[in-house]
Amino acid sequence: MSGAHPGHGAPDVGGWAGLARSAAAALESPGGGIEECLVRELLVFGLDDSTYAIPVERVREIVRMRAPTRVPRAPDRLLGVIALRGEVVEVIDLRRSLGFAGASPGPKSRIIVLHGDVDRVTGLLVDSVEAVLRISEESFWPAVSGDSGSVVEMCRSEDRFVSVLDVDRLLGVADD
Amino acid sequence: MAARRSSKGRDGAQPPEQASRDRHEFVAEAEEILERMTGDLSLLDEQRREGGEVDPDLVNRVFRSAHSLKGLAGMFGLDAISQLAHHLEDILDGLRLGRIPLESPAVDLLEAGGGLLGGLLDHIEHGSDTTEEDVLSVQAFIERIDAAMRAPAEPARDALEEIALDASFLRALTEYEEHRLRENLRRGRHLVLVHASFGIDHFEEGLAELTSVLRESGEVVSTLPTPGASPESEIRFSLLVGTEVEADRLRGQVEGHAAEVEWVGRRGEPVPDTAPAAETSSDAGPPIGASAQARPLEDHTAREAPAAHTDHTAREAPAAHTDHTATEVPAAHADSSSIESLRSISDTVRVDIRKLDELMNLVGELVIQRNAVGTLANRLSANLQTARVGAELGKIHKALDRKLKELQAGVLDVRMVPLRQVFEKLARVVRRLRRDLGKDVALEFSGADTELDKLIVEQLIDPLVHIVRNAFDHAIESPEERVVAGKPSRGTLRIGASQRGNHVVIEVSDDGRGMRVDAIRARAVARGLVGADETLTRKEVMNLVFEAGLSTAESVSETSGRGVGMDVVRANLAELGGMVDLVSEAGRGTTVTITLPITLAIIQALIVGVGDERFALPLNAVLETMRVDPEQIGRSEGREILDLRGEPLALRRLGEEFEIPCASRGEAQFVVVLGMGEQRLGLLVDRLEGQQDTVIKPIKGPYQQLRGITGATEYGDHGAILVVDVSAVIGDALRRREAA
Repeated sequence: MSGAHPGHGAPDVGGWAGLARSAAAALESPGGGIEECLVRELLVFGLDDSTYAIPVERVREIVRMRAPTRVPRAPDRLLGVIALRGEVVEVIDLRRSLGFAGASPGPKSRIIVLHGDVDRVTGLLVDSVEAVLRISEESFWPAVSGDSGSVVEMCRSEDRFVSVLDVDRLLGVADD
Repeated sequence: MAARRSSKGRDGAQPPEQASRDRHEFVAEAEEILERMTGDLSLLDEQRREGGEVDPDLVNRVFRSAHSLKGLAGMFGLDAISQLAHHLEDILDGLRLGRIPLESPAVDLLEAGGGLLGGLLDHIEHGSDTTEEDVLSVQAFIERIDAAMRAPAEPARDALEEIALDASFLRALTEYEEHRLRENLRRGRHLVLVHASFGIDHFEEGLAELTSVLRESGEVVSTLPTPGASPESEIRFSLLVGTEVEADRLRGQVEGHAAEVEWVGRRGEPVPDTAPAAETSSDAGPPIGASAQARPLEDHTAREAPAAHTDHTAREAPAAHTDHTATEVPAAHADSSSIESLRSISDTVRVDIRKLDELMNLVGELVIQRNAVGTLANRLSANLQTARVGAELGKIHKALDRKLKELQAGVLDVRMVPLRQVFEKLARVVRRLRRDLGKDVALEFSGADTELDKLIVEQLIDPLVHIVRNAFDHAIESPEERVVAGKPSRGTLRIGASQRGNHVVIEVSDDGRGMRVDAIRARAVARGLVGADETLTRKEVMNLVFEAGLSTAESVSETSGRGVGMDVVRANLAELGGMVDLVSEAGRGTTVTITLPITLAIIQALIVGVGDERFALPLNAVLETMRVDPEQIGRSEGREILDLRGEPLALRRLGEEFEIPCASRGEAQFVVVLGMGEQRLGLLVDRLEGQQDTVIKPIKGPYQQLRGITGATEYGDHGAILVVDVSAVIGDALRRREAA
């Protein structure tokens, strides 16, 4: 078992996180006049006929769906907890979080495990994981729908729009 | 402290800058030393008051504490602390060498010196450097020490002249040993020389054994190697022993250690036994004159001496090396000894509790793997074709199980620390409060050796300090009030700890004004916590003190004598899986009882099933389990109860508490009788699935604070299962009864 460093492995995303960090650093560096070169890396996934994304640097790993253990007295969107190499992590149903009806997971369902402090390590159940995209800064727009409060911007990738989730808002919403 | 830091923000916290980490490390270590030292100092004070005889080991221990503190402060460039410690060390050195009599005013200053050191540490801990004021107060104090030290010491009359010991032997004694020799003579003990030879490769063990045997009957004043005579491969020692035991009996005791016992008489006194004559030089082979190079050898043996005394405390407080043998390392004089003191520090290891947590996690994962092996072995055994392999795997599983248990016990043991640390901290708080509030309160401790997981001990301090502070602030009356009430003017605060099974019970009781049941009740009714016409037992009323709405009310604390912030105390203890209870009698006093699990790291859990779900119940909260038929279950006020050997037991269905779908109703079920402190609750479940060692893991995610769950653990093929927070479940059930 890979238990020697539980919590640090991110096998499914490899070096993306590192790339993303350097990109983020470039974004933050003062006086960067080369805006057209700035790109963001997003993990794109499918949910209820639409396409969503979260910044790659927030992703720790992606695991196959496994049956979560139900937690009593929990709100609906908390599906339960799963054991993950010695850790126990909550899994949130992203469908319910975004106000859709829950659906039973299919073969393409995945759990995206987020990085963070103890209360930010969270699994998000999504319908399918599609790709990691590098999208230049100029392709981002403010969100136009805005029902859930968790989507703050959108970006265009090839022929479709992708809703970018603000993870902190999403989990903040979950806190309510 | 390290442990507290580790419990929160494990991932996110930025490493603090070097300077503050240094400071933090210094304070942590210095505090440990100082705590030990203040504890020893109050012991010393007690012994001094009681009979004027003081245990030399104790003095040595305090001396070494002061010495370590000096060295430590020196390393961090904290001159004020270093100087102060240095002067305290001087007093103690004088005391242990008999240069300063026990009655000297300088000895009176020791405790105050410890307090001053504590104050300086506080300042450093809270980020401020030593202020000019601190420096001035240290200087003033040092002057007081100097003045006290100058007080004329009584001239030592030399008893050494009278004993029939070879002069060269006497010359080889260190000043300390000489002092101990005089002390032994003063107490009228006999002197005996024990000679023994040991093989050069293992003389350390042999000598250590002999020394410990001799210690049973007296004090080993000095151990000197005797050169010459013995064959090359052997090394000969002479041990000078002060004892009250007759030489013949001593001979019997050292039998089997190949040692000769020689009586050392006083000059002109007949030798009372048939042993070789008192003139040591004739029988003991060559003259016993320890040469200069023999000294280091003795240092060595002293340090290597048996580890019988290294207890948990020693492990905890590396610098305060409690090992009695080690404290006799001679002549730890001011400047030559800093290297030596560093060496003695390195005998023990300070471990960040996070590392222990990691180890514990690994052990926990091994336990899970072991369980999986066990399951597999059972499966294979059940099948005829694979039964043989199954049986063999079963054997391996058993062997693995044994070793794992040992490993687990070992890792757990390292985490266990005696409550003494906490008590010493409380004693300090009490001393401060005594000063600040001008109340005369005696503090009594018992059960300081009771051990608890370090992590629990760390988190226990705040609630306990809170309880003690409450007792001081509100419960114990002023001396005048106490006299009017017909009580001794001096109040008493008792803090006792004891182990009961897998729990440790800590009781804090005072003989203060106690709480008035009607006052609490009235307040609770006013706050809407209970209905005006509700019947509550005395105990239930008392426990209202832990409710948030009530315990924060100042007016209650004034009339009731206890209770500010008790809701926080309860919450903190619940986090540790503990419970708190309170009994009080108006005018007589209050007792707060805390019940805690010994460790949180690995627990035995009872796995129960309800519907399709499984839960783990910490076994230390389970009193018994039994099967019940539906007709055995009675009802009272709409709630289910069970007749448990003539006593009513409140029942709750776990399926209902946790809203579990398809939990069975009606058929036979199992009752798990839970107990926490004084409270009992029967929990109805569908199945008992067995016991298992479990590592409780925190649940990660935004909802982790859900009530009723303390964490999760892995259970074989079933993935994660949740661990029930028994104190919350009991608390909820009982509160609902109150609210009903």
